[in-house]
Amino acid sequence: MAVEPNLEPSLYTEGIGGLRSEEMILNMGPQHPSTHGVLRLVLVLDGETVVQCTPVIGYLHRGMEKIFENRPYMAGPRYIDNADYLSPMINESAFSGATEQLAGIEPPRRAQYIRVIVNELERIASHLVAVGTYGLDLGASTPVLWCFREREVILDLFESLSGHRFTHNYIRPGGVLFDFPKGWLQQCEAFLDRFIDRSWPELDGLLTGNEIFEARTQGVGYIDPQQALAFAMTGPNLRASGIPFDIRVDRPYDAYREIAVEPVTEQSGDCWGRYLVRMKEMKESVRLCRVAMDRLPGGAISTRTPIAFRPPRGEVYFAVESARGEEGLYMVSDGSEYPYRAKLRGPSFVNLQILPELLRGRRIGDVIAILGSIDIVLGDVDR
Amino acid sequence: MDIATPASGGAPSLRAFDRQHINAMLDALGQLDDVLRHVVPKKRMAAGCVGIDVAPEELIATAHLLRDQLGFEMLTTVSSADLLDHIESIYHFRSLAKNWVLQLRVKIASEEPEVDSLVSVYPSANWLEREQYDMMGITFRGHPDLRRILLDDEFFGFPLRKSFHSTPITVHDRATTQVDPNRALGGEAQRNVERVVAKRLGQGEQERLHPGVPTFGSNAFYLETGQGLEPDQPGAGERGDSAQKETPPEPGT
Repeated sequence: MAVEPNLEPSLYTEGIGGLRSEEMILNMGPQHPSTHGVLRLVLVLDGETVVQCTPVIGYLHRGMEKIFENRPYMAGPRYIDNADYLSPMINESAFSGATEQLAGIEPPRRAQYIRVIVNELERIASHLVAVGTYGLDLGASTPVLWCFREREVILDLFESLSGHRFTHNYIRPGGVLFDFPKGWLQQCEAFLDRFIDRSWPELDGLLTGNEIFEARTQGVGYIDPQQALAFAMTGPNLRASGIPFDIRVDRPYDAYREIAVEPVTEQSGDCWGRYLVRMKEMKESVRLCRVAMDRLPGGAISTRTPIAFRPPRGEVYFAVESARGEEGLYMVSDGSEYPYRAKLRGPSFVNLQILPELLRGRRIGDVIAILGSIDIVLGDVDR
Repeated sequence: MDIATPASGGAPSLRAFDRQHINAMLDALGQLDDVLRHVVPKKRMAAGCVGIDVAPEELIATAHLLRDQLGFEMLTTVSSADLLDHIESIYHFRSLAKNWVLQLRVKIASEEPEVDSLVSVYPSANWLEREQYDMMGITFRGHPDLRRILLDDEFFGFPLRKSFHSTPITVHDRATTQVDPNRALGGEAQRNVERVVAKRLGQGEQERLHPGVPTFGSNAFYLETGQGLEPDQPGAGERGDSAQKETPPEPGT
């Protein structure tokens, strides 16, 4: 976290007819409703045009990687929940998957399918927040309420499954913690039916045909595919630039090895494309949930993993497809009960890096539109 | 309608983990040997990844080769690990077209670690390397903007080094505040402190082996430091200051 932004020295320009115009520094955040958390943007403005943008991050840094080094492996999922706090289940999958690769454990098939179901539900919940708050940023206040209403149902499902609405601590190395309670699958099925038949078209009708929304997003914040690759963008942001990269497809893990995923791509590469990818991914997630529930096998939900769990010496890089992109963990084990090193690749951290490039030369109104479309979670940026 | 197959009719493919697929990657990496003029050690890793080790001075040439010849379009992550006698700077590259993941490891000295920056080759290295500078203290030569990124500029020390302790380890009487928390946060407390309580068993293990006995204030703690409560006094080993509690006066006397 840098307190002083790195600014160019020449802030004064000579205007027409001897009038001096002066560039202005505008500090946006860290407490700002549209920066999606404690992100601070130091903007150098020429009138309404952004000359330079310096993101200042680190206000939510909790030293997560150091925490992992001081906790047993089995305690890791509880802490990684808070990294990307809008999709904790997917974080837990990443940590558990990395630990399993390190130890050579294969979770039971039922556990893998349960993971797919909760991951896809979490993806829907996360995209709902992304789309809803994006609408709110651009002045549409209804979608966010509807999105949070739907998300609340998912959180209730998670609460009845794991005991927690938010930091679930449900997916563990070796499997999952609980099996579905009685009637859970019927409730989930009912939610999916209602979501896909009623809520999704309602949300789509509110935003997709909206003239103001389209005018604010179409052609704004264009990311070239080559630029996206150079800045290592992943997830919906990359797929909106036309590159069909999805870890669930390219390097499938858990039950994605048996369930075919279709990556959702858009060619436009602008904010509108990124919004559309998220909307379509929700539909795809509903389909994946249904397939996984159809094929749900019986059997154990977890291997008998001891609490004092010691993977052999070694290292692994394991990545899952989070709602925001590639959530990777580089783990080193020295054979003890604690990870020797656990490096968490937060997709939001990497995706945010392109922001100064996108904002240069844009109007200040587009700052919010572009930032919202990248869909960062500050817990994932700062970790 | 069969919902199990997606609209494009694709089926899940495990090609990325195939032996042949990884062999093809190892073959392609043979170009590295020609360019660097020695055999680069390559190894198969878990999750369909291949790991190579190069020397620090070969890093830029390797990165150029990986990007231009071998098609690794993306520098996914920059990690590092403090292995006490040396520090490892670790890079993960991804090729989307060929579906490869490569781990590149560079070993550098742990005294003033320095390595070339990859920003000129991969722009995404900018923040990723800044994060490693911030956390592990690796100086990336040629980085355009090497500042701390997550921690405060005035922060002292590099938290992910093994020599850095996340909590102050000097323990005084429980009645007093141990260390000024502001100094502890700034890392000031890391300097010139006496390691009074050695971390032998690992955090939390003492509590698990002897449930109910708090770590600080237990017999072991008293014997080692001579501070805290007497071990045989009533109330020793309990939380709070019950040892100083006055006995109630006898009734009727």
